[in-house]
Amino acid sequence: MAETVLQVKSVTKHFPGVVALNQVDFNNYAGEIHALVGENGAGKSTLIKVIAGAYQPDGGEIIFGGQKTVWDSPHQSREAGISVIYQEFNLFPDLTVAENIFMGNEPLKAFRLIDYPKMIKESDELLSKFGICIEPLKKVKDLSVAEQQMVEIAKGMCNQTKLFILDEPTAGISDQEAETLFERLAVLKAEGVSVIYISHRLGEIFQIADRVTVLKDGNLVDTFDTKAIDKNTLVSKMVGRDLEDIYPPKGGEAGGEALSIKSLSVGHLVKDVSFSLRQGEILGLAGLVGSRRTELAHGLFGSLPITAGSYKLGGREVSATNPQASIRSGLGFLTEDRKNEGLVLGQSIEANITMPILAQFANNSLVDFKREKNFCQQEMDKYAIVAKSGEVLVNNLSGGNQQKVLFSRWVQACGGVLILDEPTRGVDVGAKVEIYKIIRDLAESGLAILLISSELQEVVGMCDRVVVMKEGRLAGELENDQISEESIMHLATLSRENFVCD
Amino acid sequence: MSEAFKKVVSKIDPSIGIVSGLVLLLVIAGFFVSDRFGTTQNLLNILENSVSLGLASMGQTLVILTGGIDLSIGGIISLTSCLTSGVINGNSSLMFPVIAGVLLLGIAIGALNGVLIVRLGVHPLIVTLGMSMVLQGVTLMYTLEPPGAMPLSWDLVAYGKLLGVPVAPLVMVLIFIAMWAFLKKARLGRYIFAVGGNAEAARLSGIRQNRVVVFVYTACGFFATLTGLYLVSRMGIGDPRIGGYYMLSSITPVVVGGTILAGGKGGVIGTLIGVYLIIVLRNLLNFMDITSFYQWIIEGVIIIVAVSFYVERKKV
Ligand SMILES: Nc1ncnc2c1ncn2[C@@H]1O[C@H](COP(=O)(O)OP(=O)(O)OP(=O)(O)O)[C@@H](O)[C@H]1O
Ligand SMILES: [Mg+2]
Repeated sequence: MAETVLQVKSVTKHFPGVVALNQVDFNNYAGEIHALVGENGAGKSTLIKVIAGAYQPDGGEIIFGGQKTVWDSPHQSREAGISVIYQEFNLFPDLTVAENIFMGNEPLKAFRLIDYPKMIKESDELLSKFGICIEPLKKVKDLSVAEQQMVEIAKGMCNQTKLFILDEPTAGISDQEAETLFERLAVLKAEGVSVIYISHRLGEIFQIADRVTVLKDGNLVDTFDTKAIDKNTLVSKMVGRDLEDIYPPKGGEAGGEALSIKSLSVGHLVKDVSFSLRQGEILGLAGLVGSRRTELAHGLFGSLPITAGSYKLGGREVSATNPQASIRSGLGFLTEDRKNEGLVLGQSIEANITMPILAQFANNSLVDFKREKNFCQQEMDKYAIVAKSGEVLVNNLSGGNQQKVLFSRWVQACGGVLILDEPTRGVDVGAKVEIYKIIRDLAESGLAILLISSELQEVVGMCDRVVVMKEGRLAGELENDQISEESIMHLATLSRENFVCD
Repeated sequence: MSEAFKKVVSKIDPSIGIVSGLVLLLVIAGFFVSDRFGTTQNLLNILENSVSLGLASMGQTLVILTGGIDLSIGGIISLTSCLTSGVINGNSSLMFPVIAGVLLLGIAIGALNGVLIVRLGVHPLIVTLGMSMVLQGVTLMYTLEPPGAMPLSWDLVAYGKLLGVPVAPLVMVLIFIAMWAFLKKARLGRYIFAVGGNAEAARLSGIRQNRVVVFVYTACGFFATLTGLYLVSRMGIGDPRIGGYYMLSSITPVVVGGTILAGGKGGVIGTLIGVYLIIVLRNLLNFMDITSFYQWIIEGVIIIVAVSFYVERKKV
């Protein structure tokens, strides 16, 4: 048996009102990829934060490289050779890509001065290993969410590591980019690096992991060899029950035109896009990272200026140039960047859910708290949001639960067309099934839904029709039987060989 | 030098362009307002007037870059200036030990600010506001009047000239350039931006964020003490109330120079030009015989208008 790099012994971690980890045992060998799975709020991120010294455990011990360790800061674990890609972005928006990648790990010259030329050169090499074109001197705030995720991954890779931990690295990036990540991980594995890999995309786990550990409600369920277990069994271990079909049956009659877009351009980002969406229909918007799907959505929502073309909502020409007006005319938009554009992290679940619809709970401009509270409790039950009460701050929720809060908000606020940008990003399988069902029900109740997703399976499983974007333009449209992972990929990558870095 | 490196250097923030433009406008206007404006005497005046504000804002810039604020600068200036002239009291043999002692005191107060902020987790605004009140009280307990006297030779600090060039304003500019290089190129300098940009991310990146915070407040205490020592030299005596002006004025050049209060963005060069903007403006208004009430109003309007230019708007 290979050398044991990490041993977690009976670790416990409490937060006010929650036991995030309850006497969890876990170990990792050199040269293995060990997957960590479980529902939202199961304690996965907490476990890796304890391992990395970002949280201090309330009980138990951690043995790293044969020695019992007590980290009091991530600085120490990093020095010891643990590198972590956290679930939430940990980037510095006003610094450049290169500075971000090497933050805390800068190549130095004499006098602790930073060796910029070297840093820029190495960033470039690192990024091109992933086959992505990101200018190392660009500021991170000018990148898309997916590009930021790639920077985050590159940041984790630049270290000399013994233990590499990745918390949902593929949330929000497309399968193409994910593949390059897997290739890199295989190389690291061959070099003897030990890897802990968290993901809600179970397909990936069977593709790359050697072992898989399941957590549930802070407790260890068990650790399995991936060869010795199948997907259905794994799912039932995670959610504690068998799941029937993941995707609800398609169909339902599409009604009148809900949204029609004519040669729409958003600056130089989106060029000349036209398509339409009918009531009761789920339209997928697919494409690679950087194909400008999100920017198109921002244009429709009025948060980026439309520079040419027009669109109609429910048959009426829209001249909305700001989000307030768009919301009033019936558009809802679940943004992909939940931390920066979605949630108010320092506020409660309740405040976040009712934010755009607070007027509904007001009598003569005073908020009826009781009604608000009841309503939010229903919502929390409906989406299985794990929290002690609606008053818990969104900051303290697990990533997937934050996503559900955002989802609940926009479903409530929307009156005709709902744009969902990566709605299941970081959501566990059980909750995904629920969310898919809700999306389908919404469509059946007459809502028109534009679903932006980088997870091809999701697009194929959910959408009645799919439009594919490439580099800011429409690359094609697929219907019924034409929809498959291959056909979408084909349109999305068409003539990508000629694609050059600018 | 590689191509890429030049690119880093050439990426200058637009806010610096805007403040520089404003300074230039004011200088041009100055020549029209009065023929005495362009005299060497007046230009030297402007340079000399900028030293104390410059030193105080230097420290403030470092603090604001981490997303904090230091309101105790004024208290430190008052206390150190009074202690210096009060203890020395004309006795030049005491000069160097006292100055060294006062510098250590200022550094210690700054470090204490930093440690309190980090350990207690109380917002810097509160910690340094409290500190400023304590220091002001201590100063007034020590003396109500300008105390003691400085030996004549200490005048050289403020009024010394080398080949006809006043030394103090030159040194101040050199300090700014040195700090610019430090922020740009040293690792610790980068960490100041990192902590201001995203404190939790900095911690998770393995940066010892607490050390960075303690460092900037310590540096700020040091620069405030330099300000106090310089003022003692200019006036020949300390003054228990002189610091009050710097408590808020040290923030103005920083924000006018494009450093954002939330931290993580900006720099010292903007602050330097911001200092000149304020000083030239005051000089100009004096020539125009505008009373100080109007000066306040005009200064206030300029600050708001200038900063409104740099606010980032969503662009395509
Ligand atoms: N800082 C905190 N304060 C209070 N509670 C917290 C904090 N961090 C996590 N929790 C709680 O601990 C539990 C475990 O959270 P954790 O983030 O580890 O879940 P997870 O398995 O990573 O879920 P996800 O798949 O959604 O990312 C959750 O109930 C969460 O609400
Ligand atoms: Mg998590």
